Amino acid sequence: MTELQKSEIVGTPALNNVYIGEMDMWPLESPEFNRIYPFYDNLRAGKFTTTKCKKCGHITFPPQVICPKCWAEELEWVELPQKAKVVAITETQAGAPLGFESPLIIAWLTFDHPALKHLIGRIIHAKEGEVKEGDEVKFVTFSVPANPVEVKKDTKICDRVFYAFEPVKK
Amino acid sequence: MAQKKNAVIVGGGTSKFGVRQAHILDMVQEAARACANDIPGLKPTDIDGLIIASTMAGRHSSALNTAPLVVHRLGLKPTSICIRLDTLCAGSNSAIIVAKGLVESGISEVVLVMGAEKVYMPQRWETNYTQLAVNDHDWDSAMGLGVPPPFFAMIARMHMKRYGTTKEQMAHVSVTNYTYGTDSPNAHFGGRTLTIKEALEARLIADPFGLYDCCPLSDGASAVIIASEERAKAMSNRPLVYLRGTGQHATHSMSAGWPGETLAEWPHLKKASEVAFKNAQLTSKDIDVAQTHDCFTISEIIELEELGFCKKGEGGAFVASGAIKIDGKIPTNTDGGLLVYGHPFGASGARQAIEICKQLQGRAIHQVKDAKFGLTHNLSGTCAQHTVVVYGREPVK
Repeated sequence: MTELQKSEIVGTPALNNVYIGEMDMWPLESPEFNRIYPFYDNLRAGKFTTTKCKKCGHITFPPQVICPKCWAEELEWVELPQKAKVVAITETQAGAPLGFESPLIIAWLTFDHPALKHLIGRIIHAKEGEVKEGDEVKFVTFSVPANPVEVKKDTKICDRVFYAFEPVKK
Repeated sequence: MAQKKNAVIVGGGTSKFGVRQAHILDMVQEAARACANDIPGLKPTDIDGLIIASTMAGRHSSALNTAPLVVHRLGLKPTSICIRLDTLCAGSNSAIIVAKGLVESGISEVVLVMGAEKVYMPQRWETNYTQLAVNDHDWDSAMGLGVPPPFFAMIARMHMKRYGTTKEQMAHVSVTNYTYGTDSPNAHFGGRTLTIKEALEARLIADPFGLYDCCPLSDGASAVIIASEERAKAMSNRPLVYLRGTGQHATHSMSAGWPGETLAEWPHLKKASEVAFKNAQLTSKDIDVAQTHDCFTISEIIELEELGFCKKGEGGAFVASGAIKIDGKIPTNTDGGLLVYGHPFGASGARQAIEICKQLQGRAIHQVKDAKFGLTHNLSGTCAQHTVVVYGREPVK
């Protein structure tokens, strides 16, 4: 009987330098994969936006394709405030998901806006213990890893962006 | 008018919960065996319906189309229903609601309701990383919200701020649940008790939570039989335990849709319980024993308030007073709850149902005197929806 050779490969060979959609922690932002892509284009332009219903006036976050109140399809893009107040805050030392550094600072925020009475926001550019309840934070954008998309026989690279919040210097 | 059929819970069992050297399908078999130990004479051929509740089956066991896999391993041949469903932490309670409807309508006679999760992976990072998928992926998860402790830590902060709840009051929840869970042979943390001092001195997980304020992530499976009254009588001599009423209420998924005034108010639980109590034709005053979703100590405190067992804001003092003990006003989590028994998401609801079934049949390890009406409750994920099931020794007339 042949002796089994010990494999030199550890892990899953197919995963080397391959993008796995299932493991992607960021949204698919390009128009090929969603109909709210103006949100991400607006992020790239430094704007925090969402959709407002032209029929009933309801503003909702996150942006949508139909109005969650009246199901109308006639929506328009509007800007949201970029400053928020910290209502509660928590810093996690252990168990932060891969890709997020410890301590992971997450806050429950409130904006002066009906669509954003509550929002979970990550706090960045802050030291441990620096941000307290009642502090003001502001919206900030940053690049995140790009993803490939096959378009016919080619592959295009989609640059991506996301947002978080940083302390407003007192 | 034809007599409405009643659905009952006949009995059930669980696998050992914990960090298991087992595949999800192995644990499913263990749970089925435990269920048969509880209902002597139960055979696979007695079962015409299967519902398996599981969230992690796909990611961690590559078992997306789980129901047929369970059918194969358990030798089932269902004809009325054969599905997997997923409502995260409320999985098997949702499955019990579905089974109740199918039995009452006559579509099914004997349904095997199961819950199962395989959470532990060869590398720890993957378990924590997968948790990003339980929240609104493109919005809250992208903020780093994965495992629940940070979210519930903020809930605790709000409740402490608004109502003066203290860490010591929260510790009473775990100490009490450990008092009972120590005797559950399949509990993740069974076989030990806890003191207030140990609870308060435990290492910090997410301020204000220490280790014992948080339920563990657990592998495990559970199984119960939901059947028609007639079939239940043929399967068991024990008193019948009826599914009287249910409610399941959702309001949002992503943080911007949170329905409460603050994180400390859970109106969606209040509403779910109102629906369940109305269907059961009971009020909270009628409930003799409860299983509420103690994923964190603060959760049990808020749940007791919103379910109507004490006034809003008084949950901390309520649990510290001994009201949740066997001889108290509302004995709660008398098998240890999530904190001690563990929490394989989809399996927890059925595990709760088993304890309520035993309580109402007078055969629980920590028996509540004359228990006639019981309740189980789960929230899902980061408190996105609430599921309430009410049981009784008598059916709704």
